[in-house]
Amino acid sequence: MSLNELKLGESAIIVNLSTLNKYIKRRLLDFGILEGEEVLLKNRMPFHGPFMIEHNGQMLGIRYKEAMQIEIERQW
Amino acid sequence: MVNIALVGNPNTGKTSLFNYLTGSYEYVGNWSGVTVEKKVGTLKDKLGHLIDLPGIYSLSPLSKDESVVSKFFISEEFNSIINIVDASQLERNLVLTIQLLEYGKPLIIGLNMSDVAKHRGISLNEEKLSEALHTPVVSIVARTGEGCNNMMNYMTSLNTKPVEQLTLNYGKDIENGIDQLLSILPLEDIQHLPHRWLALQFFEGNVVIRNYLETLVSKELLDKLYQQTEAELKKSNHINSIAQRIYQIRKNYITTILEQSVSHEKQQQVHLSDRIDAIVTNKYLGMPIFLLCMLFMFKLTFDWLGTPLSDLLDQFISGRLTDWITILLNDLGTSQFIQSLVLDGIVAGVGGVLVFVPQIFILFFFISFLEDSGYMARAALVMDKLMEAVGLNGKAFIPMIIGFGCNVPGVMAARTIEQPKERLITILLTPLMSCSARLPVYALFVGAFFAGHQTIIVFSLYLLGITLALLMAKIFSKLLLKSETSIFVVELPPYRIPQSKTLLRSTWDKGKGFIRKAGTFIFGGSVIIWLLSYAGPGGLGVEMDDSFLAVIGGLFAPILAPLGFGTWQAGASLLTGFLAKEVVVSSMNIIYHAPNMDSLQGLLTQAYNPLSSFTFIVFILLYVPCLATVGTIKKETGSTKWTYFAVVYALILAYIIALIIYQGGKLLGF
Repeated sequence: MSLNELKLGESAIIVNLSTLNKYIKRRLLDFGILEGEEVLLKNRMPFHGPFMIEHNGQMLGIRYKEAMQIEIERQW
Repeated sequence: MVNIALVGNPNTGKTSLFNYLTGSYEYVGNWSGVTVEKKVGTLKDKLGHLIDLPGIYSLSPLSKDESVVSKFFISEEFNSIINIVDASQLERNLVLTIQLLEYGKPLIIGLNMSDVAKHRGISLNEEKLSEALHTPVVSIVARTGEGCNNMMNYMTSLNTKPVEQLTLNYGKDIENGIDQLLSILPLEDIQHLPHRWLALQFFEGNVVIRNYLETLVSKELLDKLYQQTEAELKKSNHINSIAQRIYQIRKNYITTILEQSVSHEKQQQVHLSDRIDAIVTNKYLGMPIFLLCMLFMFKLTFDWLGTPLSDLLDQFISGRLTDWITILLNDLGTSQFIQSLVLDGIVAGVGGVLVFVPQIFILFFFISFLEDSGYMARAALVMDKLMEAVGLNGKAFIPMIIGFGCNVPGVMAARTIEQPKERLITILLTPLMSCSARLPVYALFVGAFFAGHQTIIVFSLYLLGITLALLMAKIFSKLLLKSETSIFVVELPPYRIPQSKTLLRSTWDKGKGFIRKAGTFIFGGSVIIWLLSYAGPGGLGVEMDDSFLAVIGGLFAPILAPLGFGTWQAGASLLTGFLAKEVVVSSMNIIYHAPNMDSLQGLLTQAYNPLSSFTFIVFILLYVPCLATVGTIKKETGSTKWTYFAVVYALILAYIIALIIYQGGKLLGF
């Protein structure tokens, strides 16, 4: 599943980022976000607007389009 | 004299530290990219210079402001580095630290935000961290200055010791690549730079370093070496790119260090930031809250606080101050000419603009508050969807809000936008944001024609500016430039209650430019305008209608007639408005020979009606960026063509919109 399918307040492990644009991937890497890392969906804006995600205590905004390309696995 | 570079991630308190150490009045904001250019300050003990560089996550740049740091590292002389590090985000911050340690200059780590880290259940052993990194680590609180002097003492002792650069083993393939690169580089030409660091930055994909190396070795050779190394790496490891491998190795190293020096304890509590975010970035409330914030800002500036203060100042300048100057000039026995120059020229022109100082400072105070509190990044997030629809991204909104204060820093703030196309469009559109220098003109006309509806009329002008900017963004991104993919990943820093001292400093920093302008541009402009109005083809001391100013302004009158203000007075004041928009008010004070704002407003009601006055202020909003903004656009785009474009499109847009409003309004019977 991808990040946009996550419900608010749920967290998941990133398993694949390979389809992302390389600049976006680089920027996420700057924040330490890569395969194997856990992210939490904090909030989302209406009309497929940006997502607010939390990783390791830092808060980031990313677009819906990119969230769709982030493949994750839910943790139970 | 030593030069110390200040480097760190965005939002780590770099600029606060800079302000503390240099005692200078720098600009601090709580969103990425406040330091858009390197700034140099003199250390308090006068023993050296501190260079504040833009915040970066990694030396390898994605945007223009980030590339400043790499360029600095290869082209400027400096002795040591202060690396400010956010203790609550060590994993991420240390990636940059490693790149700096690999450079091999003496480095000290200023560990900031330990309180935030403690709050999150992270406790740190500084000595162990320092031991593991072979470099001093000092705890500081940049906002209050705690520990900063201690850090500087360390710094002084550090400069005398020789340093070793950090050498990590990046594995067989990358190490081979480094060796091969070093063997083809003309090492004697780059004695002053650390070779291994250059090679690593090249393999990491640092564009600035790549361009630099291409001046030394052929591009083909570099491409070949890069591809060859990447191929080798892919063969022996399951890895996508060299950059990723380098990152992994650094990350492993950091993890080992942190295992020794950091302990975590689980803490479950709702943070204040989360609670605020639940409201201001709420799905449905986010946008309305943003607009309410803006409305409140204008209400305070115009109705509640700003206008009463401006009125008091106006009474003082046109009353007591003018009396004093008159008495003084009489006592000195000055000629009629000098008296008229001082009273009708300088006092009317400069004073007419200075009365708006309270309103402008209130506006700047608000913008500083937004920057410092952490709300700016949220506004970018909330606005992203709308901005995406017109071909920009949410980050473009920040330059625009700053543009409300002054277009010059607004245009400069566009540097944080990664994509060149989005950046260019943002630069072109920021001048449509109604800056504080336009306020005096609005206040003058709105007071004369729309008393009691000040806020709503002025708010409508700001909205008109934003709406047109969005519309033009759509047109520009469709017509002018081929589409590129947009990058939007924005860090949302924790909220902070801005410190009153920082807030006042940065308000003053922004506002002092306005006062300085009053002493230079507006002073000079006023003198020239008065001279042009005093002299005419018929000689000196002519009637205003026979003056040179009337002749010059008259040239424009026929063109402006369809907009409802086809007078030479309007033509002349618009012409002077190019110097700085508030000069329009100075010109009118001189032209209409008005002793104070009230009487000028009375005189204006004879020359304008409500419709033509509204059309006039809309024209003022749009017609051309001021001289300073045009200069900044030239500098930021590096293109004469785009600078002309920015001026010409604004003129055309202003004319069309003003025409629609005036002619449309007439048809509707206003």
